[in-house]
Amino acid sequence: MNTIIDINNVSYEYPGGRRVFENLTLELNKEETTFLTGKNGCGKTTLAKLIMGILKPTFGEIKLFGHSTREMSLGSIGERVGYVFQHPERQLFAASVMEELTFPLLFRGYDKDEVINKAEKMLDIFDLQKVKNSYPYFLSYGEKRCLAIASVLMLNPEYLILDEPTASLDIERIGVLSQVLEDLKNKNIGMLIISHNKDFIERHKDRIINLEGGYYD
Amino acid sequence: MINIDPRTKLIQVLILSTLALIYNEISILLIILFTAIIIGFINNVNFISIISRLKKLLKIIFMIALIQSLLTNMGNPLLKIGKLMVFTDYGIIKALEFILRMGIIIVSAAIITTSSSREIIQGLIQWKCPYEIAFMVSVAIRFLPIFKEEMTDMITAIQLRGIDLKKVKFDKKLQVYKYILTPITVNSVMKAKELAAAMEMRGFRAYPKRTSYMVLKMQTFDYILLGLNIGAAILFIILRGVL
Repeated sequence: MNTIIDINNVSYEYPGGRRVFENLTLELNKEETTFLTGKNGCGKTTLAKLIMGILKPTFGEIKLFGHSTREMSLGSIGERVGYVFQHPERQLFAASVMEELTFPLLFRGYDKDEVINKAEKMLDIFDLQKVKNSYPYFLSYGEKRCLAIASVLMLNPEYLILDEPTASLDIERIGVLSQVLEDLKNKNIGMLIISHNKDFIERHKDRIINLEGGYYD
Repeated sequence: MINIDPRTKLIQVLILSTLALIYNEISILLIILFTAIIIGFINNVNFISIISRLKKLLKIIFMIALIQSLLTNMGNPLLKIGKLMVFTDYGIIKALEFILRMGIIIVSAAIITTSSSREIIQGLIQWKCPYEIAFMVSVAIRFLPIFKEEMTDMITAIQLRGIDLKKVKFDKKLQVYKYILTPITVNSVMKAKELAAAMEMRGFRAYPKRTSYMVLKMQTFDYILLGLNIGAAILFIILRGVL
């Protein structure tokens, strides 16, 4: 197995003092689609944020591609690991859907035509063509989520973390998302997905981690 | 622990900040700052926590003061490199004035923060300030930490899109901040609209007169403190002259 994320004896305590994890050790692999489940407030999103380097462990260490998240900048983590937030509106910035998809790559100096072609494909896949000139804030919640996922996929991440990706999606869009995830899996891109959707979990799971009281089974 | 009425604090802060604006002399500004610190102690201000929370702002204040003294050419030179005047006595005095004024404003703000926003609003209402305006002030105060959190989240999120802020050049950094500030501005307008609709639905201004569960009452100590503050301020102005 090709370990991408190595969580080693991690403990985490919120600023208020509530401890979520105590000596959590876990490996996440490139070939696997791992589902993270558990009750509300058990620390699923916190674990995702710890992996992405948004939060730093109180004790222990998390390694991404062999490097400690303490030593990596958020930008360098974001270049390799895609993270779709639980609330997608928190990761939408641009004045139009098209700009939302293209600006990070254009910013980094990629060829404009190439980027636009790629964005057009994303718009087709996620059925966002009809809203491509709209302001992202005025999209429906499901469209916002699709846009957030598409925006992250534009960067060709090597690993993907999705926080409740099916929330507020209709059956049709869940089908589209399932197809996208299967394509990614075929490309050998590993995923960590936080979800409560049993059918979705059943369809894509390689491994299920159920968090409870800061531990997993 | 002395519990001072928020209205007493508001008047104290008003007096301190007005005096800080009308006087230019360093000795007088020092006296005002010293008085503000004493008043801060009376109001139970935790100065250690304030200093640790405002470390970044204090650095910016000192930087501005340094730039201000470097850019001032008036006065007698204290440090000269060739024909270039680096520091002049006038520049240093102006920078010190700025630092002292900012110090007074920070201590004044700290005095206000010893009361909760609810107490301050109630103080304004009992001063016959229209409830709508007092409520707007309370909403604005409550929104400040939310803005701060949103700003932090947006900065984190944009970096996770592969944009390394530490490596971005200055001109492009401005562009990044445009991307961060646009959604925050739009979100604020939308939130304000949603809040207004929610308030109307919950019967805001349904009756012309409101009653409050919390009613503030000035104590003897408040009157003594106010009398001392106002008296000292008037005496100070008479003795020193306004300018």
